[in-house]
Amino acid sequence: MNVLELKDVTKKYGEFVAVEGVCLEIEEGKILSLLGPSGCGKSTTLRMIAGFTTPNSGTVAIAGENVDHLKPYERNVGLLFQDYALFPHMTVEQNVAYGLRYRGTPKPMIPSRVQQMLSLVRMLGMEARYPSQLSGGQQQRVALARALATDPQIVLLDEPLSALDAKLRLELRIELKEILRSVGATTIVVTHDQEEALSLGDEVVVMHAGKVIQRGSPIEIYKAPADKFVAEFVGRSNWFCATRRGRSSGDLSSYITSNGIEIRTRSAPTDRRGSADLCIRPEHIELMDVTQGVVSDEPDQNLLEGVVVDVAPLGADVHVVVDLPGETRLQVIRKNVGRIPTVVPGQPVRLCFAASDVLVFPT
Amino acid sequence: MRHFKSQLLLLLPAAAVYLFFLVLPLWTVIAESFRTFTPGRIGAVAGAPLTVKNYTEFAGPVYATYFGQTYVLAFFASVIAIIIAFPVAYYIAKNASASVRKIWISALVGLMFLSALVRIYAIELTFGSVGILAPFMSFVGVNMNGTAYINIIIIVGLLHYAIPISILIMIGAILNLNPRLTEAAQSLGASAIESHLSVTIPLCIKGIVSAFLVSMTFGVSAFAIPWILGRGRVQFISNIIYSRFSEVSNYPSGAAISIIMLVLSLLMIFIISRIATFFDRT
Repeated sequence: MNVLELKDVTKKYGEFVAVEGVCLEIEEGKILSLLGPSGCGKSTTLRMIAGFTTPNSGTVAIAGENVDHLKPYERNVGLLFQDYALFPHMTVEQNVAYGLRYRGTPKPMIPSRVQQMLSLVRMLGMEARYPSQLSGGQQQRVALARALATDPQIVLLDEPLSALDAKLRLELRIELKEILRSVGATTIVVTHDQEEALSLGDEVVVMHAGKVIQRGSPIEIYKAPADKFVAEFVGRSNWFCATRRGRSSGDLSSYITSNGIEIRTRSAPTDRRGSADLCIRPEHIELMDVTQGVVSDEPDQNLLEGVVVDVAPLGADVHVVVDLPGETRLQVIRKNVGRIPTVVPGQPVRLCFAASDVLVFPT
Repeated sequence: MRHFKSQLLLLLPAAAVYLFFLVLPLWTVIAESFRTFTPGRIGAVAGAPLTVKNYTEFAGPVYATYFGQTYVLAFFASVIAIIIAFPVAYYIAKNASASVRKIWISALVGLMFLSALVRIYAIELTFGSVGILAPFMSFVGVNMNGTAYINIIIIVGLLHYAIPISILIMIGAILNLNPRLTEAAQSLGASAIESHLSVTIPLCIKGIVSAFLVSMTFGVSAFAIPWILGRGRVQFISNIIYSRFSEVSNYPSGAAISIIMLVLSLLMIFIISRIATFFDRT
């Protein structure tokens, strides 16, 4: 049973089309990430589900019931705002009890429900505090408790972690997922942060310019992006503009860039000759010292030579920037484990990546 | 420390002005209020004996009526002004576009620049006993010389000033409000009205109280409005003060009533501010 169903929803602001023909459905208990850059229509979509914005066409249905005519307070949708929007004049307890009061929970039941929610978000003992007396992470927990207290049919999270610092973000992300799973909340996470989207969502929907571009599991989105936009937006990537040179052998194709670099690819999407954008993820590139003997030129491997420009050791990863001949710059990410060859700027290196790791987007 | 001293210098002109033109005259008034008055003279004689009679005189029920009229009418006018002004301020702050907001604000400021006297006579010419609505009022059976009617007209006169100033003050408070808060309230099941009552108004309480105090201060010190619209049947304390000074030249009595009013107003501001602070949890 789909808890939420958006059918061909379009929203225009004057001439500007914010959301165009979006179809979306979500199964009970699943977490769906709505990922896209700012202005892609994801927030408008969220506001239409919550009822703050009315679509120009299309329908929004919650639990099989059309809710287009329902006001926000007539829908049972829990919202977690980016800035939490806790009521500053109410205590933690009053904030969590707010929805229970207005959704008609019998008065004697409210205190025990508030306690239950606060224990879920590990905020017991903070009942009498005001939001201004809480840290960002604590405010977020209270906001989550408030949103979940009324047992909403759908929980909408608007950039839930973006206001927190990096370390806290990681901690809360894991906890947030745990809490949402434990209450079995059907959730939509709206975010421009790919890490947040990929880590929280069972499924990810990528939006761009008001349209849904791709829907899939986090791994699918990363490994098999539907188009150049998704490949570029999700994860880091190196790009080549190249022209097809015809089949070399088997299912391998060969492309040549404007700078004369040859790149072999697998999984040729089309047979026609023509140009394509080639993408290779930085972590798929192997880095070798040129003095490390001669590497045999396997047909399903790409072997390039370049000069190291910059080395940034970032703890777990080492980011290396390499210049290829003809002003092509590549990012390489190596795991900082075992014995990794140390490179220094100015050092000539050999780059190696599998043809199957190259993503091809015909232009 | 040097820095602190040079900053104190900035306060000097204001301190000088206040000392010479506010504290000194006020002191003269206080001193005058304790002098014995000899009827027929203009003000107290220099070196007249000290007395508290000027103050005790106002303890009687006659004066209680004047104080009552002043504070009750000003209070009602201020409350009505807040009730009328809040939705307008909310609309201007939240729903109006930037250009529409500018037009509203200039119109409201302009309204306050319009001469008070002109507005009062306009009200009198329309709603007064010889006003153009007089035939209609007598037709529907309204006694235009009744105290109730005059009280209402005075409140209307006070609203002329209280509404625009209340709107202008509250716009600021509402603009500072996070719009997400009412949305959060509505997503939690509170209707539009409930969310305003439980979130918007408590969070705007400072602005509402400021608007109330400004309206109230204006109302209790109103002079021309009760003078013209009250037609002698309703008088405010300001009118009594004026007549003590200008008509019977009993300066000590006028001074005493001024001081009583000053103390009452300060007390009112103090109590209301305390109540507001108690309710303001932000």
